[in-house]
Amino acid sequence: MALLNMHQPQAWNRRKTLHTLLVGVFAIILALASARHCRAEADSAAAEYQVKAAFLYKFVGYVDWPPRAFSNADSPLVIGVMGADSMAESLRQVVANRTVNGRPLVIRRLRRGDQIAGLHVLFIGHADGDRTSETLASAKGLSVLTVTESEDALAGGSVINFVVVDDKVRFDIGLGSAERGNLKISARLLAVARKVVNSPS
Amino acid sequence: MMRVFSSTLQRKLLAATLVTTLVSLVIALCAMVAYDLHTYHESWVSDIATQADLVGHTTAPALAFDDTRVARENLELLRYRPQVRAAAIYNARGGVVARYSTDPKEADFPKLPEADGVRVESGELIVFKRIVENGEILGTVYLRAEYELVSRLWSYAGISLMVVIVAMAAAFLMSARLQRIVTHPILAIGVIAREVVQQRDYSRRAEKMSDDEVGTLADAFNDMLGEIEHRTQVIEQSNRSLESEITERRRNEEEVVRLNQELETRVRDRTVQLEAANQELEAFCFSVSHDLRAPLRAIDGYRQALVEDCGENIPEDGQLYLKRIESSVQRMGQLIEDLLNLSRVSRGALEKGDVDLSELARQVISDLKQRDPERAVDVSIWDGMMVKADRRLLRAALENLLGNAWKFTSKTESPHIEVGMLSANGNATYFVRDNGPGFDMAYADKLFGAFQRLHAAADFPGTGIGLATVQRIVHRHGGRIWADAKVGKGAIFYFTLGDGDAVAQGLPHSEVSA
Repeated sequence: MALLNMHQPQAWNRRKTLHTLLVGVFAIILALASARHCRAEADSAAAEYQVKAAFLYKFVGYVDWPPRAFSNADSPLVIGVMGADSMAESLRQVVANRTVNGRPLVIRRLRRGDQIAGLHVLFIGHADGDRTSETLASAKGLSVLTVTESEDALAGGSVINFVVVDDKVRFDIGLGSAERGNLKISARLLAVARKVVNSPS
Repeated sequence: MMRVFSSTLQRKLLAATLVTTLVSLVIALCAMVAYDLHTYHESWVSDIATQADLVGHTTAPALAFDDTRVARENLELLRYRPQVRAAAIYNARGGVVARYSTDPKEADFPKLPEADGVRVESGELIVFKRIVENGEILGTVYLRAEYELVSRLWSYAGISLMVVIVAMAAAFLMSARLQRIVTHPILAIGVIAREVVQQRDYSRRAEKMSDDEVGTLADAFNDMLGEIEHRTQVIEQSNRSLESEITERRRNEEEVVRLNQELETRVRDRTVQLEAANQELEAFCFSVSHDLRAPLRAIDGYRQALVEDCGENIPEDGQLYLKRIESSVQRMGQLIEDLLNLSRVSRGALEKGDVDLSELARQVISDLKQRDPERAVDVSIWDGMMVKADRRLLRAALENLLGNAWKFTSKTESPHIEVGMLSANGNATYFVRDNGPGFDMAYADKLFGAFQRLHAAADFPGTGIGLATVQRIVHRHGGRIWADAKVGKGAIFYFTLGDGDAVAQGLPHSEVSA
């Protein structure tokens, strides 16, 4: 805050300066407020991805892949992120120095057209919305835990779909898709899902 | 069986058994109760801790995915365990995610979760357990369950009390029976012992009822009784023999006493007889002597008449014969006088009075001197000798003794006569000593016999009656007289007069020296 020294002896000079001062202060406040609002929006988005990243990391512990999915006991678990850079970033933070069942976790950012095979988990962000169903189709039958955050992605064949309900991040589980991919999902995860859909699409 | 435990032995035994039973009961019950309570505590804590683990594990997904509804639903399952009164789940930041309580109005939950642990607080068990999944702390489980240790303890105390009462009653009944096994033999011995003492019947024996230390006691007791019986018999026997001995002795004593009495009587009789006889003899002697004087006087008269009237006509032989007749008549007259004296001494009452022996002796000596003035005899008479005696008789005795001493020292160069006394043990012994020719002590017993003469008449005249008379006088005084002499050295005549018969042996004999 700039300190304005008011040394003007004249009364009308003083008033004018005061007025300017007030307007300036008001403008600053407004700017800050709007900036904060934007930041908040940006912050909330980031916070959401942080939660989703944390959830994704936790999902891994509740899912069993078929034995062929891993070459040996400590080969890494690969998580592919498509269409959500901030998610990838949050995931990296969450996953750093952590293991699941003794396996290290590797985050891979995927571009359009990158191979899905070799991934254990695939997160398809809604930035890549129109491509979601394509990607899901190509992942059908593979032992990949597909996690989406679009409205009807579950019907499209993803195993887990994030939803935000009452400002809380929740998720739905599509069991049929899990079965098609030979993935076994722990009943405990099912218990905390908002919705469990059984039949395959 | 439940008669009267009058004997303190029975009571003691019973008390000992009951106390032992009580102590062992109490120890056993305490041990069991303590073990049970410990086990209860351990198992209950384990149970609730496990329960917390289960709740934690089940709720982990709800915590992981921030699903409070599921968390609450999980806690609601605790309704199937009514012992769990309250539960809560805290997330990793310490905030309450879900609550559960059997009391719907309950709101007393800890604000922040504590570290893992189990503790007991105001009768409830409180457990905090962290929920860890995949190496990460998701949150904390809080359980509050009932803890019944104290109520268990009280119920056990109640049960124990009843058990103790019942067991003690059973123990009482049992030991009341069983203690008889031990006490019966002992008491039996006690009864026998008392009876033996009271009735003095040592033939009783105690019954040996068992084969243990009490049996040994019974045997020893019986042996002792046997010994006592035997000894008593021996003592009684010896008592009996002693008694018979004593009766025997007493009888003998009585016999002796009786015989003594008989003797006494006989002696008395004899003495009386003897005295009577003596008196007769005395009288006879006196009268005969007296009667002899008359004819003697006649003989002497007629001799004298013959000499005076017919003297010129009698030839010389006849004159000689007449002279011989004169001396014989004189001698006979002297003899008769002496005999009469002797008799007189024996008759008449003894008048004992205080007599100065020294004075009497001096008188007798002066008479002797008067009759025989040419003789120079050294006489020493002790002074102050006072005696209790008959004056007349004592004088006669002194006349005899001193006359003898005078007579027998006639041939001695420097004659010496002494009259004195010795005292020993309060008794006085008087003596008359001379340094004449003495006599042979071998004839001492003949000294005082009448007519006994130890010297020829030619040497020393005398009738031989004098000493007999002195002895008679001394004996009448109740005294004793004896003599001691050495041939050629002299003689001492000792005598006592009356009470305190001085024992002659005890008196020293002084050396008689010329």
